Amino acid sequence: MQLAFGHRPVYDGLECHMRKGEIHLLLGGSGTGKSTLLRMIGGLQRPDSGIVRVAGHELAGLRERDLGEIRKGIGMLFQNGALLDSMTVLENVGLPLREHTKQSRVEIEERVSSVLSAVGLDDVESLLPRELSGGMLRRVAFARAIVMEPEILLCDEPFSGLDPLNVTRIEDLLVRLNKELGLTVVVTSHHMASSLRMADQMILMRDRICVSGTPEELAGGDDKGVIEFLGEDGRSFLARLHEIRDRGDVGDGSSAGDLR
Amino acid sequence: MIGWIRSLGASATSFVEGLGQLTVFGGEITASLVKPPSRFGFFLRALYDAGVLSVALIALSGFTVGMVLGLQLYTTLSRFGAEEGLGAVVGLSLVRELGPVVCGLLVTGRAGSAVTAEIGSMKATEQLDGLRMMAINPIHFVAMPRALALTVAMPLLNALFIVFAIAGAFVIGVSNQGLDGGVYISGLESAVRFADDVGQSLLKSLVFGMLLGLVATYKGYSCSPDAAGVARATTSTVVTASVAILLSDYIITALWGV
Amino acid sequence: MQSNASRDLVVGLFVLVGLGALAYLSLQIGGLEFGSQEKVVLRATFDDIGGLSARAPVRVAGVKIGQVSGIALDEDLRATVSMEIETGLDLSIDSSAAIRTAGLLGDQFIAVELGAEDESLQDGEEFSFTESALSIDKLVGRLVHDAGVSN
Repeated sequence: MQLAFGHRPVYDGLECHMRKGEIHLLLGGSGTGKSTLLRMIGGLQRPDSGIVRVAGHELAGLRERDLGEIRKGIGMLFQNGALLDSMTVLENVGLPLREHTKQSRVEIEERVSSVLSAVGLDDVESLLPRELSGGMLRRVAFARAIVMEPEILLCDEPFSGLDPLNVTRIEDLLVRLNKELGLTVVVTSHHMASSLRMADQMILMRDRICVSGTPEELAGGDDKGVIEFLGEDGRSFLARLHEIRDRGDVGDGSSAGDLR
Repeated sequence: MIGWIRSLGASATSFVEGLGQLTVFGGEITASLVKPPSRFGFFLRALYDAGVLSVALIALSGFTVGMVLGLQLYTTLSRFGAEEGLGAVVGLSLVRELGPVVCGLLVTGRAGSAVTAEIGSMKATEQLDGLRMMAINPIHFVAMPRALALTVAMPLLNALFIVFAIAGAFVIGVSNQGLDGGVYISGLESAVRFADDVGQSLLKSLVFGMLLGLVATYKGYSCSPDAAGVARATTSTVVTASVAILLSDYIITALWGV
Repeated sequence: MQSNASRDLVVGLFVLVGLGALAYLSLQIGGLEFGSQEKVVLRATFDDIGGLSARAPVRVAGVKIGQVSGIALDEDLRATVSMEIETGLDLSIDSSAAIRTAGLLGDQFIAVELGAEDESLQDGEEFSFTESALSIDKLVGRLVHDAGVSN
């Protein structure tokens, strides 16, 4: 996936490229436009000027219906889940299948169960979103985002408001999805420490522009802006993480189930 | 002075713009009606929320309005010695005007605001965006069934309102004031004609239902995605739909009489 | 969205009740007629139709048998009224059509008085005998005039 744009007061002259099959982390404080960037990749928002190109398709001129075709290959996880509150977990996760495939009710139920198990949830199918805890809600939304086996996964602040156990769970899931299925993952966060171990590319956003690079590059580079952004602790943290990753440690992954 | 004119111009432009957007939205809803899948389940649910849950209000209001109408008209008619015309006057005023308009305003307040609040809060919690990202058209999924339900519910509620009101006036006129029941009913039946009166009532309630359906869904869909935005949109629905109903009532009455 | 059988039932009930109310208003009160009832079209020409308008009733012995379907001017600038009347009624060809007022200030209607002939009026035929509308102001004018004359 390739992305390039430059535009409006939230950003000015922003340019960004994301390669396929990698995990990309968008970091920045509140209001730096991380979510906006994510939404632009999904076509939910358009830049005032510039181009957004996803998987070779330029989004600018497309009508809703054509965008829809592209979106079938994208799964999006919203910050608050964005599950339909009048429908059960089963109905929510199964919705894309019901709308876009001809699978029978039984097939859909099976697929949904399997995906829910993969995110570590069992026996929640008949619950309503308001009956779920924060972590469960996030994971159900996750399940919905991947149920159609997309090529790109966009996650808006997937770690916010979660306890450390759930954060780790989701990190593991993202890494598994990336490694096992080759999913391109784009994650926004304003939390650096919680997500560094998975990023192939970090995109730091502040004051209208962004700086990007692999964790190693950012850790070792001389860029003043980066140094200022990360701070000393940040850079040494990055350096340490670099080692951990090299050892191939991707966490316990206590979940079972078939993501495919 | 210039500033005042400029802001007037700006209001006028934004009004026309809003009208345009409303029309485009209406077009999309209409287009959704013929595209599969049918969303019948959502339609039924919306019909329950808009229709069934309004019945108590409509029945009670209808009966009360009927009683008041019966009392007022009986008193006035008896001044001219024309009490026997109560059935006719009650019937005509209810069927042609009071029924569709009062029912329309009541349903706007009850069901219209509820629809706007529902859709608005879905927008605020990104559910509509979620639908888009699943390549599902939110207008087709959320707005169309609700707009259709409001359109269908209105004539039915209108008919119920009128029947209850006729009953209310009957109670007052007959039991309370001593008018003969048979005279009341026959006056009613001879004065009210389907083609002129009931037909007009039906047309009005259908049009009011469509207007409400359009306005309520549009306001929810286009509101600012936060709590305050939803609240503003809800109020706006009631105001806009009420005005639209009253205006179209005049237009239909005037044209029908031709 | 949970499809709830009992809720759907209630919705169905609501629709039925609503339609029932609508039917009551239309049929019982509004007098909507169903089915293709054969109608015969008859005409009558008047000098003055007064306040007669389309859809005004046509009555025989006070009972409604049809309604006015059209009003037009003929070459002599007299009013030709067309009316749709139920079939099966034998109105003799010397029957008359008069424009009457219901009550003192009521709506105007056409009152048909039967004649004595055996033959009946057929579809498309015209009443030979007609009586134009009496208007209150003409009557009062005549009264005043006559009163004035006799002085």
